[in-house]
Amino acid sequence: MRHVIERLLNLLAFLLTTSRPVSAEEIRRRVAGYGGSSDEAFRRMFERDKDVLRNIGIPLELTATDGWGIEQGYVIDPGAYRLADPGLTDEERAALAIASRVVRLGGGPAPPDALLKLGGTGLGGGEEPLGADLGLPAETLGDLFVAVSERREVTFTYHGRQRTIRPYGLAHRRGHWYLVGEGSSGMRVFRVDRMEETDVAGVPNAFVRPRNFNLRAEIDAHPWEAGPDEAVTAKVRFEPEMAWWAARTLHVQHTEGPLEVELPVANVDAFIGWLLSFDDSAVILEPPDLRRQLVERVEAALV
Amino acid sequence: MSRRRTASRLARILAMLPWVIANPGSTVGDVSRRFGYTSEKDLASDLDMVFVCGLPGYGPGDLMVAYIDDDQVVVDTADYFEGAPRLTPAETLSTLASALAVVASGQATPALESAVDKLAGTLAPETALEVDLAGEPELVGSLRHAAADKRVVNLTYTSLAKGGTTVRDVEPWSVFASLGNWYLVGYCRLAQAERIFRVDRIRELSLTDETFVPPAATPEPAVRYTPSDDDVRCVIELSEEARWVLDYYPVDVVEDGDGRLVIEFSAADPSVAARLLLRLGARARLVDGDEVRHALSDLGQRVLARYT
Repeated sequence: MRHVIERLLNLLAFLLTTSRPVSAEEIRRRVAGYGGSSDEAFRRMFERDKDVLRNIGIPLELTATDGWGIEQGYVIDPGAYRLADPGLTDEERAALAIASRVVRLGGGPAPPDALLKLGGTGLGGGEEPLGADLGLPAETLGDLFVAVSERREVTFTYHGRQRTIRPYGLAHRRGHWYLVGEGSSGMRVFRVDRMEETDVAGVPNAFVRPRNFNLRAEIDAHPWEAGPDEAVTAKVRFEPEMAWWAARTLHVQHTEGPLEVELPVANVDAFIGWLLSFDDSAVILEPPDLRRQLVERVEAALV
Repeated sequence: MSRRRTASRLARILAMLPWVIANPGSTVGDVSRRFGYTSEKDLASDLDMVFVCGLPGYGPGDLMVAYIDDDQVVVDTADYFEGAPRLTPAETLSTLASALAVVASGQATPALESAVDKLAGTLAPETALEVDLAGEPELVGSLRHAAADKRVVNLTYTSLAKGGTTVRDVEPWSVFASLGNWYLVGYCRLAQAERIFRVDRIRELSLTDETFVPPAATPEPAVRYTPSDDDVRCVIELSEEARWVLDYYPVDVVEDGDGRLVIEFSAADPSVAARLLLRLGARARLVDGDEVRHALSDLGQRVLARYT
């Protein structure tokens, strides 16, 4: 591995100090480690090296070396190469390290590279009995994150229909990741794991996020509050044995006995599904139409 | 030698050099601990590589200077590496999202909160990113402390599958969030076995004065349900609108094509499948499974009785 790392360090040093695009041929001739190889061997080596640099996040760009675009060359902008230093203290780094260790994205903890770039951290902190699994891998979310940050439009297929939206925010809720954005049919919330053929290659600064955009408000607290149905108020009674749990889910006060609450419902399907998770310990008191829909659902299941 | 390993090793060098440049006089111990070098030899080996690299010409004035002098790490004439490389989008996202997840659990230290502010300010000022792990911060906090202090807890717990409420002593190993819920993993003295509990189903929690000795290696929390031989199985036909079930439950797809979607569903208790079938209504049909059929019928009648 030694000679590969050395060659990469030489290549990087060269590109960071050359303020003009340099051709692959010039790199081959001048950078130590590439000399004496055949055309084919050089091509393979150089492809591999570019791949490694880009993986680390180094902005290696290919651009014209002259005004006529006859020849292309490689360039790294030192300003774009460098991390904008957030000025973390060691205590803050250690806190981030623990968070990275206990939170999983895509099945495992994040590799330590990010924390090393931020100034490294000791491995102290000991056992941490807290954990969280956020589901999707960071790579899947990374592109959408860039689209949100750089205000690029995103095109994807959702339930078989192609959509182009201006992505305003990315959020994890109730075990899933959601992209919130505005397209031809207004503001919508999309589940990231259901987006297919996602293309984030739009140009940067393609839109301005509305000043009053509120990510938290767009992703409602309860799944039955937003939906296709005409909003109604449901009156529900929870029996004492499960009332404590309903109260906890709904963030309402409850000490003992049954619980009666009024809830705004705009997604009947989600509402009935949630209510049935209480078995026979919950009952819809009003309106009659909602009661009828629940009964129909149960009867259909018993056929 | 994989590309991934090459990239990791190079990334560590590119992070370590700026640190040493900015903190002259850093000791071998400092640098090793901070950047995860397990021995002085590993650090020396990376510095040796740096020492033979530099700019074309590759003479004494063109190469970087990097070596260990007594106990100090010395790096010089490597000005072009005086800043660490920026984070990749995936790195920025995972660093921020993990920190936000801990904040959302209600367990963040002030240091983590200030770290999030600094990171969001410099790395992603334009980004709206939120992580919410619905849950009960007090319960999560108490369980976390009990696990850290190795103290037995007493739970009043309502079982999701069976509906009954029990009181039990549990030796808490860890508490974690997954798929939208918080779970407690530990040794249950009532069941005399390792158990996973949903935190939102813990009605009451108290810490006892008794401590316990956890197993040498607590098992990785298996978040996803893994079928066992004792499970109740059934076969369900789903309509296209109920395809989401595949995303939420660990099922075996028996048939998928020509407009037919058939799955095999297994769970520790028949009421789990019954509750799902009830919820799906006309969108699913139980093809096979007598135990589940009985449970469904019983559950359905009990619910309907509330509406007559």
